[in-house]
Amino acid sequence: MVRVRVFATLRSIIGKNEVELQASTVGELLERIYGKYPKMKKELEKGAVILVNGKNIEHLEKLNTKLKHEDVVSIFPPVGGG
Amino acid sequence: MFGYMGKILRVNLTSGEIKVEELKEEDAKEFIGGRGLASKFLLEEIDPKVDPFSPENKLIFATGPLTGTAAPTGGRYMVVTKSPLTGFIASSNSGGFFGPELKFAGYDFLIVEGKAEHPVYISIKDEDVEIKDASHLWGKRVGETTDKLLEEFGDKKARVACIGPAGENLVRFASIMNDKHRAAGRSGVGAVMGSKNLKAVVVRGTKQVELADKEKFMSVVKEKIKKIKENPITGGGLPNYGTAVLVNIINENGLYPTYNFQTGVFKYAYEQSGEALVAKYLVRNHPCFACPIGCGRVSYHPAIGITEGPEYESIWALGASCGINDLASIVIANHLCDEFGLDTISTGGTLAAAMELYEKGIIKQEELGDAPPLRFGNSEVLHYYIEKIVKREGFGDKLAEGSYRLAESYGHPEYSMSVKKQELPAYDPRGAEGHGVTYATSNRGGCHVRGYMISPEILGVPVKLDPHDVSEEKAKWVKIFQDLTAVIDSSGLCLFTSFALGADDYAEMLNAATGFEFITDEWLKAGERVWNIERIFNLKAGLIPEKDDTLPKRFLEEPMPEGPNKGHVVKLHEILPKYYKLRGWDEKGYPTEEKLKELGLDKYY
Repeated sequence: MVRVRVFATLRSIIGKNEVELQASTVGELLERIYGKYPKMKKELEKGAVILVNGKNIEHLEKLNTKLKHEDVVSIFPPVGGG
Repeated sequence: MFGYMGKILRVNLTSGEIKVEELKEEDAKEFIGGRGLASKFLLEEIDPKVDPFSPENKLIFATGPLTGTAAPTGGRYMVVTKSPLTGFIASSNSGGFFGPELKFAGYDFLIVEGKAEHPVYISIKDEDVEIKDASHLWGKRVGETTDKLLEEFGDKKARVACIGPAGENLVRFASIMNDKHRAAGRSGVGAVMGSKNLKAVVVRGTKQVELADKEKFMSVVKEKIKKIKENPITGGGLPNYGTAVLVNIINENGLYPTYNFQTGVFKYAYEQSGEALVAKYLVRNHPCFACPIGCGRVSYHPAIGITEGPEYESIWALGASCGINDLASIVIANHLCDEFGLDTISTGGTLAAAMELYEKGIIKQEELGDAPPLRFGNSEVLHYYIEKIVKREGFGDKLAEGSYRLAESYGHPEYSMSVKKQELPAYDPRGAEGHGVTYATSNRGGCHVRGYMISPEILGVPVKLDPHDVSEEKAKWVKIFQDLTAVIDSSGLCLFTSFALGADDYAEMLNAATGFEFITDEWLKAGERVWNIERIFNLKAGLIPEKDDTLPKRFLEEPMPEGPNKGHVVKLHEILPKYYKLRGWDEKGYPTEEKLKELGLDKYY
């Protein structure tokens, strides 16, 4: 099981701050999420920041990044600030 | 002239003389306006070695050609002066509504010179400009000052920029506040205003900004507003959660500076996040002049009533930086900083340095007496010492000097997390090394906005860069961000537009407003020129690149102890030479003859 933390506008879609799901890659995890929470697909299509244990998947294997038990996946909608 | 009002208002507080001068079009074409043109004026008009608190320093309120127009976020202005905190150039940006009103009154710039014999304020009603007595306002907080001035001025539509008691007492990081809660926060510009015995500027204008091609401008503006509204950051994240949305994202990425930058992860970050602010204290969001984003916060806490903010930087500075978790204390402290006129970043950074010095036994409780212990996490520190700083009372007098002078006085300057003596903002550079270059090279000292590398390195905007890459490619990005930021700052727009717009977009708006018809590269060249003229001012003020373009030892030598960036330091020595080369400077960091000639700045250096 991996811990999935969601932030900002994504929390109202999931209904809570964190869920636990089973998946072996980030891509598989997203499919699981879209299956359970269909509205997430539209939100994340706008561009999301996805971290595995604090590291951005863009610098790992992107959607093919492997997940292991107790990994923390953090998903942010597009955010900005100063 | 179009976009510009074509006039500089010059007020000498020593002699009482008030003059209106013509703005030269060649100057506007070279330096755009706002931050750029005011920096040129400052370099030409004061000796960069002058004491920032002396009457010889000048204080410039600077608008840009797009300030006061319908351009999205066309509400910004800059305060440019020599900083009493850094000893280098200060250019402090603010939003709200004051900048546009100065344009409506008919002026692009207000240059304040000299020093008044007793507290005064400047009253501007179109052509009617007066220096008036402010003795009855001296000592008053920002909110009360603003209300009383509007009453005295007799027009509720007027706008006020003023200092609080912090500026009056020459606290080195005092701010200038406009519209009560918008801050020209950094570098102690409020202290310069206080040193001139200038309490406030009140302005009301009835003119309009004339545009070169009004129809073209409005159609361009309409398209840009659409881009901004459709972008998920400027159209979604920022209005809904404000800048505070960054707390969780920066913490999850492991660069949320905690306990004076001792680590990059704060266990209680969630409690002070944007999500938490919305749930606990937010009333609604709030835009500045002509802003389609509306990232401002209107918040409420029963101890203080309605307030604005806190922003990401303020939450962090008064929160994790000091190890403080409770958002209520942060909201209240932020409000106090607004009321007293204090830069929240430097206030938090100074308290955090004091806390580290205290915890290491360097500042002792005997010195504080019965005052609260300067312990990380002790929220009473905020409630107690902020007022002492403002009044320069007790230990507050030492804190009022800023973290660098404080730490240095105890023989430990290395505990001040600052660059050029200005406290660093809310990102640990060991988690974003390009951002570290921004910190090391920003002309006004430790600053994040002058080249916001967090955008590509962490947020992935416009593309995702590897935060630990220190190649020439990374250095190129730093230069581009810095030059484009200089254009935006000089034009009067808000930097947040850059999440949705690119250089071409700004060029289109500027051309339609001013009629200059420059290609994008020419506007960017003007941005580069602005960067270089600030650099020249600093070199003449005594900057030594080898000594001053650097980062605290902690980031160069102490690996990040935990989190996703564990083990990393900033490889500044690897990337800085590449950056200098790209800037056309020599390996020591001095502009070359060639670069100066290229930019037309050889007469200055």
